Amino acid sequence: MSETLPGGGMPNDQCPVTNGETWSPIAGTKVILEASVLHKTYLSGERRLEVLHGVSLVVREGESVSIRGESGSGKSTLLHLLAGLDAPDAGSVHWEGSTDTGAARRARFLGMVFQSFYLIPELDALGNVLMAARVAGKIGPVEKKRAQELLARVGLAERSHHLPSQLSGGERQRVAVARALMNSPCLILADEPTGNLDEKTGDSIIGLLLGLCAEQRIALVLVTHNAAHAGRTARSVFMRDGLLQ
Amino acid sequence: MPWYLYLALKQLFPTGKRLSFFTAISILGVALGVATLVVTNSVMGGFGHEIRRMIIDTQGDVQIRARGLIENSGALVDEVAKVPGVLGVTPFAEGVGMIEYGRKPAFPLIQGIDVNRVNDVIPLNRFIRVGSLDELDDDTVILSSQLAYSLGVQIGGTVTISSPLLIERLKSDEVFLPRELVVVGIFEIGHQQLDSNTVLVTLRRMQDLYGLGEAVHGLNVKIAENLDPDAMATRINAVLPRQSEIVARSWLEANTEFLFVLQMEKNLVSILLMAIILVASFSIMSSLLTTVVRKTREIGLLGALGGSARQIAASFCVQGFLIGVIGTGAGLLFGFSFLALRNDILHAVNRLTGSQEALERFYQFSNVPAHIETVDLVVIIVGTIVISTLAGVFPAWRASKLKPVEALRNE
Repeated sequence: MSETLPGGGMPNDQCPVTNGETWSPIAGTKVILEASVLHKTYLSGERRLEVLHGVSLVVREGESVSIRGESGSGKSTLLHLLAGLDAPDAGSVHWEGSTDTGAARRARFLGMVFQSFYLIPELDALGNVLMAARVAGKIGPVEKKRAQELLARVGLAERSHHLPSQLSGGERQRVAVARALMNSPCLILADEPTGNLDEKTGDSIIGLLLGLCAEQRIALVLVTHNAAHAGRTARSVFMRDGLLQ
Repeated sequence: MPWYLYLALKQLFPTGKRLSFFTAISILGVALGVATLVVTNSVMGGFGHEIRRMIIDTQGDVQIRARGLIENSGALVDEVAKVPGVLGVTPFAEGVGMIEYGRKPAFPLIQGIDVNRVNDVIPLNRFIRVGSLDELDDDTVILSSQLAYSLGVQIGGTVTISSPLLIERLKSDEVFLPRELVVVGIFEIGHQQLDSNTVLVTLRRMQDLYGLGEAVHGLNVKIAENLDPDAMATRINAVLPRQSEIVARSWLEANTEFLFVLQMEKNLVSILLMAIILVASFSIMSSLLTTVVRKTREIGLLGALGGSARQIAASFCVQGFLIGVIGTGAGLLFGFSFLALRNDILHAVNRLTGSQEALERFYQFSNVPAHIETVDLVVIIVGTIVISTLAGVFPAWRASKLKPVEALRNE
């Protein structure tokens, strides 16, 4: 993990890390994500289901945070609010001090990894990784080289032209990890990325994710059921009854 | 290339995979619609074009006629010939007569033409298949091909011609003697009605047959290319004797109703055939709606990656557009290929069904003509692409309305 990826060894331009400074993923560095008193309620028929009861969370640059909790405790809902994919009923989400969590900013600020991989079946592994760059509006030889190298880093250099249907579950998730890293985001949100994988493959994916995030100074919020995986992050919180503990 | 365009292309033509069945059906539907429209429009346009050409070739661009006869036609010909834009003027007389050869009679339309001037207006030389127009004089005759065939007469044969007026003019002590004329030419215009029943004689012979003296029935006028026939008719009318009942009418005006029917037929058929494109557009819509449902999670992913609702919608609109463009291209290829082989196909079908004669009798043409106006082609191409793109709008709207978070939850 000592190699430097093109455009990736250094933090994203948008991330508030001063070039030349000694980087350290410890509390005290700048806050890149701040969620304040988030409330979210869903209507289920005539029943109101309050999923989040005022959740607050701060993530600093380079920090890895895991969120554990029982099924239905609101972990994924929180992640969607943090990603700007859904709006809270009350409270606010700030990315680097701004409430702008729109689609255009999301393309550069965030990387996301999902339990079900969500690869585009018509594109090969390389095409899927490059899709993140395409959506962010930057595609060129540098990005192509970076995508190739990211695939090499996740152990899929020889399979870059394979379609998702030709890859195993673990390999698909590796492609999804490479895609999340493609734009050198400030933050990666991972929603149970090992949920569909066997234990050994899951361990490997978590190791890969944590290692690459640390190497590239990217903050990570990991939603997981797995205590062992949660234990490998710098900070672990538990979600119960719509609140973080 | 914008990502939504790239994705649209990849979804239509996936890497390492065949074209999806739904896409292939949609493209085929559009292609068939376009091909049918091109073929039908071309054939109908071809018939219309042939008829127009035939009208002009046999009547000139402008025709001058009187309620009765036109006396002193020589002076009138000179006067009309001076009008700027007029390239040629030729007088004519026409009427039904009886022709007989070897005790076989027929009742053709006899056209009396001014041999010296006719080629200035009507390209008769082009239609002469055997013999020569130069040999036409007061003692000779030129017959249409099918008339000659039905009478069994050949070049050099002598036919007798008479007219009802010739008999009427006989005095009580006179013996009726039909005119004996030698066949010196056979012509074929390509129009069944004219080719089956027309006789050409000199103007003088026709004046003799009908007892016209020096009078004629009308003048045919040829005008310069690109001039408006209606405007030229107005210009010619200005030099015609005032208070006379002689009127110049363009071929467009003289055949207004016929041309209107031709155009209306073409428009109606085009509208009916547009239904094929509409059906194909529903196929596109259904295919894209299926794609939206099938790819709900991918649409959610694109939102998560930072794609805006408008860009996601554009991806589906582009797919409709591309299906339209490819289908139109394929349709044009099919259509023009079919048109190139139309006569071979028609003759093959005729050989199988033995319907060549019926075709000539009812449709007046032995070959299928084809002519498509550029504007018709543009309307077909643009119309099809617009309809196909619009067919992508509803699925695109549905896709853009999907909230990423709900789409991602759609496991």
